[in-house]
Amino acid sequence: MVVLNKKAFKLPRVEKDKFILLLRLGLDYDRVQGTFCVKSYNNIEKLTDTIATILNADEVTFAQTCAICDRNFPCSECKYLDLCATKNLPFQCVCPQCLKDGKTFKETG
Amino acid sequence: MDVIGNEEAKTAFVDWLNNKRGTKKAVLLYGPPGVGKTTLVNAAAGEFGLKVIEMNASDARSEKAINRVAGPATAFVALDTFSTESKGSILFMDEVDGIAGNEDRGGVSAILKIIENSRIPVIMAANDPDLDKLRPLKKVSALIRFHLVRIPLIISLLQKVCQREHIAAEFEALERIAENSSGDVRSAINDLQSLGETTKTLTLQDTVMLKARNRDISMDETLRGYFSAKSLLEASMLLSRSNVDYDDFLMAVGDNLPLRYPDPADLAKAYDFVSRADMYKGRIGTENWHLLRYFYNSLAEAAATSPESYKPFTLISPPIRVITLFWTKGKRTMLDGICAKIGHLCHVSHASAKMDFIPFIKVMMARNKADGVMSWFGLQPAEVEFLANMTRF
Repeated sequence: MVVLNKKAFKLPRVEKDKFILLLRLGLDYDRVQGTFCVKSYNNIEKLTDTIATILNADEVTFAQTCAICDRNFPCSECKYLDLCATKNLPFQCVCPQCLKDGKTFKETG
Repeated sequence: MDVIGNEEAKTAFVDWLNNKRGTKKAVLLYGPPGVGKTTLVNAAAGEFGLKVIEMNASDARSEKAINRVAGPATAFVALDTFSTESKGSILFMDEVDGIAGNEDRGGVSAILKIIENSRIPVIMAANDPDLDKLRPLKKVSALIRFHLVRIPLIISLLQKVCQREHIAAEFEALERIAENSSGDVRSAINDLQSLGETTKTLTLQDTVMLKARNRDISMDETLRGYFSAKSLLEASMLLSRSNVDYDDFLMAVGDNLPLRYPDPADLAKAYDFVSRADMYKGRIGTENWHLLRYFYNSLAEAAATSPESYKPFTLISPPIRVITLFWTKGKRTMLDGICAKIGHLCHVSHASAKMDFIPFIKVMMARNKADGVMSWFGLQPAEVEFLANMTRF
């Protein structure tokens, strides 16, 4: 299993077609740092599968960020994993600890 | 903004609204029901002081109705924009995928015209963006996808609502409501409201009567779940829950099996099961629905041929045949037009024109003896060129 951070991660060099496909599926490439980040989430499932193919990994997961305490945590810690339609994808969530403590999320905007 | 989850969609929408629209004058928000599409539009309008001109599914959305409501609103600058309170307007068309039937005839083309001429942002929302009729709208719009909201977020929201409304609730009760909602925030809030009105303290016992919401599973989601299924039962359950078109699904499975099973022996076995499923599907016809379970079972067996060998792969979807038909539509239309002209003059069917006449015309063209025939059929230069370049049909 490979765990990625949606804000910046590195991939091995890929051929031109694959690189174009990654950008089309929603990745952005930082030429200076040589890192990728997720820019569009419209094709996130296909994107994750493509990254898994490139990395030759059984599973690619993104680190989750808690909307309340900003802590990074993996999906495997969550007891609702089997019911989740977006497991392992980089979306907003609440960590098990904050949920247990009954903390509610902050208002934004 | 009080919209829970879908943070990325929220950011993309606000960016688009803040004049970072690029070349797209419209935006299409799409995703399952109850995840905050309409709420986001209303919240953003409130935040930016924009007036919302709304058309939803309850209004008739024929060409005439759209032009009557949205035409003037988008073509001219409204008088109230000169007041200090108003900062402009947005046109919001909810559930555009619901435009259908005789009542809404011409609706999509009217919306296209509105987008082209509009001076204000045009926002549309849809549950299913993959419908053919929405294709023209998708071409001219920025697309923002909304996903199902996660259970911990819904629980957290319900806790907050309970705090605000002074409802005492057990954590397990809120957990049950969130689980039943299947990611639909609106239904979770509705359930909480209806249960909260009948009791002082909401307990797990009060939620017993709640039934899980059934939600539609898209083709992509069905395929992904199907190929990653760890057992026959899991694949079979998924298939029975999904409402995808069986023909399309069979084609998509056929396309993706070589990617799923690199081992030729597994692949051959899986294709055997798929062909058996196809056979059952043929036998089901319009009345033998009792055979449906055999269709599901055979397909599920194809998915569970070798569960331990699963590795993620990039799915081919929609099916290659559908994509090919889409790309060759122009060519097929051109050929149909030529066949119609031949059929009209020679009193033959389209099929006969295609199979019996065109091969001979091509031979004549190759020998430069077809000019007279071409002019008699009334073929345009583009049609002549098409016939000359056509290699197979």
